[in-house]
Amino acid sequence: MGNGRFLGLGYLSPYILGLLAFTAVPFLASLYLSFTDYNLMSAPKWSGLENYIDLFTRDRTFRKSLWITLIYVFTTVPLKLAFALFIAYILNYRLACINVFRTAFYVPSILGGSIAIAVLWRYIFADTGLVNMALTGLGFDAVNWFGDPTNALFTITLLRMWQFGSAMVIFLAALQSIDKTLYEAAAIDGAGKVTTFIFITIPLITPVIFFNLIMQMVQAFQEFNGPYIITEGGPLKSTYLLSLYIYEEAFQNFNMGYASAIAWVLFLIIMTLTVVAFWSSKKWVYYAGDKRS
Amino acid sequence: MARLQLRNLEKTYGNAFKAVHGINLDVEEGEFMVLVGPSGCAKSTTLRMIAGLETVSGGEVRIGDEVVNALPPGKRGIAMVFQNYALYPHMKVRSNLSFGLRIQGLPKAEIAAATDEVARILEIEPLLDRLPKQLSGGQAQRVALGRALIKKPEVFLFDEPLSNLDAKLRASMRVRIIDLHRRLKQEGKPATVVYVTHDQTEAMTMGDRICVMKEGRIMQVADPKTLYNRPANLFVAGFIGSPEMNLMAGRVEGPSDPVFSLGGQSVRLGREVGSRLDLSSAANATVGVRPQHFELVGSEAESGLNGRVTHVEFMGHEVYLHIDLGDARVIAVVGTEAFEAMDLSGEQVRLRPNATSVHVFDTASGENVSLSKQAA
Amino acid sequence: MDARTPVSAASAAHEDMVELDSESLIASRAYAARQLRSERISAAIRYALLVAVGFVMLYPLIWLIGASLKTNSEIFANPGFIPDEPTFQGYIDGWKTSTPYTFGHFFWNTFLIILPKTIGTAISATAVAYGFARFEFPGKKILFGTLIATLLLPNVVTRIPQYLLFRDIGWLDSFLPLWVPSALAGDAFFVFMLVQFLRAIPRDMEEAARVDGANSFQTLIFIIVPMLAPALISVCLFQFMWTMNDFLGPLIYISSVDKYPVSLALKLSIDTTEAFEWNRILAMSVLALAPALIVFFLAQKYFIEGISAGGVKG
Repeated sequence: MGNGRFLGLGYLSPYILGLLAFTAVPFLASLYLSFTDYNLMSAPKWSGLENYIDLFTRDRTFRKSLWITLIYVFTTVPLKLAFALFIAYILNYRLACINVFRTAFYVPSILGGSIAIAVLWRYIFADTGLVNMALTGLGFDAVNWFGDPTNALFTITLLRMWQFGSAMVIFLAALQSIDKTLYEAAAIDGAGKVTTFIFITIPLITPVIFFNLIMQMVQAFQEFNGPYIITEGGPLKSTYLLSLYIYEEAFQNFNMGYASAIAWVLFLIIMTLTVVAFWSSKKWVYYAGDKRS
Repeated sequence: MARLQLRNLEKTYGNAFKAVHGINLDVEEGEFMVLVGPSGCAKSTTLRMIAGLETVSGGEVRIGDEVVNALPPGKRGIAMVFQNYALYPHMKVRSNLSFGLRIQGLPKAEIAAATDEVARILEIEPLLDRLPKQLSGGQAQRVALGRALIKKPEVFLFDEPLSNLDAKLRASMRVRIIDLHRRLKQEGKPATVVYVTHDQTEAMTMGDRICVMKEGRIMQVADPKTLYNRPANLFVAGFIGSPEMNLMAGRVEGPSDPVFSLGGQSVRLGREVGSRLDLSSAANATVGVRPQHFELVGSEAESGLNGRVTHVEFMGHEVYLHIDLGDARVIAVVGTEAFEAMDLSGEQVRLRPNATSVHVFDTASGENVSLSKQAA
Repeated sequence: MDARTPVSAASAAHEDMVELDSESLIASRAYAARQLRSERISAAIRYALLVAVGFVMLYPLIWLIGASLKTNSEIFANPGFIPDEPTFQGYIDGWKTSTPYTFGHFFWNTFLIILPKTIGTAISATAVAYGFARFEFPGKKILFGTLIATLLLPNVVTRIPQYLLFRDIGWLDSFLPLWVPSALAGDAFFVFMLVQFLRAIPRDMEEAARVDGANSFQTLIFIIVPMLAPALISVCLFQFMWTMNDFLGPLIYISSVDKYPVSLALKLSIDTTEAFEWNRILAMSVLALAPALIVFFLAQKYFIEGISAGGVKG
């Protein structure tokens, strides 16, 4: 059948078409748009660096939004991963019903993206919602979750931590793949539980730590549903993450050029962090690779 | 270095399965003890109880004068070489060697000196900066050995350390380990070793003494020569030696000049056998003869077992004859020259066991009843 | 078995060194028992912790179901999940919605997006993964590089031009922007997962099929697809789940209410429902979650396997 050398390309044709139409061209177009003034009424007008200069000199909303986004990402991702690893570590003991727990912990991840969950969160953290009922029931003071700027952002962090399941499943699979005799060798070398965890377990699962870190980071930087539904960006724009800002600029104010510039700043931040992670991974990620013997 | 003692050691698993049935074993200081047996004989479980990797359900493990049952593996003064080497894959060889010492918090200079010393002994200096995945099987094996050596343990434990190597390398590593053991002894630092294997050749060539196990019980503990020449029971007789000892279940009569009857045939075992036989006048007995200990006699010989040669295996310097004796199939080994001089046209041969090397076992109990005290 | 017991007794006696005093035997048995007990205690602590975490994970969902059957006054007064006076009023009112359509209409819309999207993803991702895993061709390395790059590329950067593109070709306010990119293997994650899966499958069977005269397409259909089936099921399930949950896509592209999928309809009901009619919204939230939950419990094995495989190998 035909020329073997190009047969593979034939199977790839949908991908190549999709790549060009929906990824590559839009990617470049977005870069171009970020240097223009475009409000859908007339053709894009080249404005050079103006959008970017505005962003960093005049736009206080942007600065606040960027700052909040960074806080959100740098609290949510570590907390979520640490929690996921902790639970995976406990599950990795040869406990009975491990599968039941794994399933239970995974359910929130499956549903997590749903608007319904965001709706639920609104009710749970409402002034007289479930969380405050539980807190007062236990003798604590009720917390004003959505009225206080720091608390509001934290409810979204809690929502995403609640969905630690998929990261945990990945950690658990990695933990289960570690050769048990390594733990025995460490025990004979005199290592206690903590030492073993730090010097044996952690280094051996660095590839999945790395994978989870990148994936969760990219996701967290683009968080939209949580703040859009739960807090609607407030109070005082304290949950006004960059993705919300981009959405409003682009699809409500139709400032396509300006929105593209914000998107590009966000993209460059994500890319820089990803590159740093990849570059540093040579130093801290252990790759098993092929065993020669 | 210290002696190791097992006292009524038991292992019972959660499901009430009893894997080890109260075994007793003394390993003297500097002794190389091999635990050998077929898979499922609990030799590894026993080793892991000594190491502290399995809890002891009953009895004691004593290292030196101390009962170590309650100590974690790292505090027992043992070192272990694992079947798959269990090298930490993310650490370089140097770190693999020194991990235990670093955990103890020894001074850096001391650790470096110890590492260099071990690397020199095992000739792995050029490998120190490699990762385990960059090592060949033999190299990894030596690093694993080094990781045990560096700790200067009271007792070395080996869990089938050579079974992942190919036959050639296995033979050379065998020699290397024995050499190392001997060298340590000469240097006045004798190493107490417990070495687990399922390979009887390994056991015979390496052990000062060998402990043969079966289904969680000790069958016999002895040096290789005794084990080979004076097996305590049918199990040991069949397990030790290659090709296996021929075991023929029949009947032995007359204690002073015993006659062995097998099916319709019978053969006189000789007065020497009778002198060491501990058997009532007539009994169901199993006679054991190693393949090397058959004599092929002419058809004119007065006593012997007639058989038909079914198969001939040429091994080079000797020939294995598979012989059907009617009620038993046996193997006899003859030298190549003797074989070539034989007339096998009729495929019929007449065999007689070499009197001094015959063993008689009580078929019911399995015990060797031909080990008189005097012959010891 | 019995016949062998005397042997071990004999050899033990032969060792003649059994000098174990009963005291130390008792002590060591006691130690073993103590150790067993401390193991049990630490296992109990672990279980307690896991149960507590599991409770926190699942209680909000349980509460949600309970609350959807409560009266409006009870929702914010009772932290328990069992309603005092169970009522389906929330479901009845919620189902009607404040629009001319019932909630069933919105479910149907969601279905009309999910169906082509899932099928298109399965077909295109399989073909593309087959191309990557089994063929050599010019530019393969670069193309695979773009796949990895797409995997890491934040959607946020392509969203605006995509919108402009769909606007220009007149696809706004239709379902097409929501599924066509996926049907062209646009979800790099799935392609990557299938490539990894295919690389782990030995080629013997395909070579046998070649020898039997099958061409590459027949090999794909008759050999590869059956072997890929479990991974393909994972792909379809994840795509189902993600599409079910997708909110931003419809928010951008769908503007007429009669084309709203469930996620938008739910948001609409929050905005338009009277401020105190909470149980309607909670009832519809339960319904919105139900398909995903049901599918998950029917096929959880594929989810766990899919995510573990994708993660560990990635």
